Amino acid sequence: MRYGKLFALSSIMAAAVTLAAPVHADVDTDFANQLHGYGIYGQRDYNAWLAKITCKRLGNGLDTSAEKSAEFLSHNLPRGTDTAQTWQFLAAAIRTYCPDLTPMLTTVAEPNR
Amino acid sequence: MHRPRRALRDHKCPALRTGIVVLTGAFAATVFPATATADATDDYPIPHRMIVTTCTAEQILAAARDFEPIYYERYIIDKHNKSPEVQQAAIDNAHYFYSLSPEDRRAYSEQMVTNFADPMTASWPNWAKIFFNNKGVAAKETDNCATYPPDDQSVWDG
Repeated sequence: MRYGKLFALSSIMAAAVTLAAPVHADVDTDFANQLHGYGIYGQRDYNAWLAKITCKRLGNGLDTSAEKSAEFLSHNLPRGTDTAQTWQFLAAAIRTYCPDLTPMLTTVAEPNR
Repeated sequence: MHRPRRALRDHKCPALRTGIVVLTGAFAATVFPATATADATDDYPIPHRMIVTTCTAEQILAAARDFEPIYYERYIIDKHNKSPEVQQAAIDNAHYFYSLSPEDRRAYSEQMVTNFADPMTASWPNWAKIFFNNKGVAAKETDNCATYPPDDQSVWDG
């Protein structure tokens, strides 16, 4: 009986440990991890700052469309980054740092209606 | 019995003479370098590209904003941490520099390294960082500046 209780308790604890929500260390690390998934590496802080600047430019109208953002990024991502990666960076940047600007991305997917 | 000294001298003489000539030459080169080498290099303290560019300060900043965005952001943040007077003085100094001819910019550059009492430098040592401090940044700025409007003051505020 006593062992049974102990067993139940320890399995609950084990479940709590294994099923714990993934730890969000900080936003910039999450962003870097997303980039790694796309094969984009480089300095974490540089990429995070570049993403924030991209958001700022989209937000204040300096870049008037997602295409302009992608062009801006293409000058500032490491040499060898291809077009697909540039857009992946842009999408991840918007998702992470300025989700309110997501409509600017979706308009690209529905051209000239 | 000693070998005759004369024979020794005859044997060693040509090599010795050449050595002396070479050494004297080297010594002279050290003591009397050509005047030009005493000067700073063409890229210091102001990169050559900034001496010869025809862009305005605003065009250069716009290029920095688009092609060296992090360097640019740092500069603008630094600038915003200064008093309005110092910020305006930096803008005025940049306008003055880019209004000069290449010869006058060169002279300005000579003066810049020697005049530590310059009030602009004293109040904001990095006021011209985005223009002068980094050859790679200067290269990107001068490569791309010509396509931007020459008088867009908004670039000073990021």
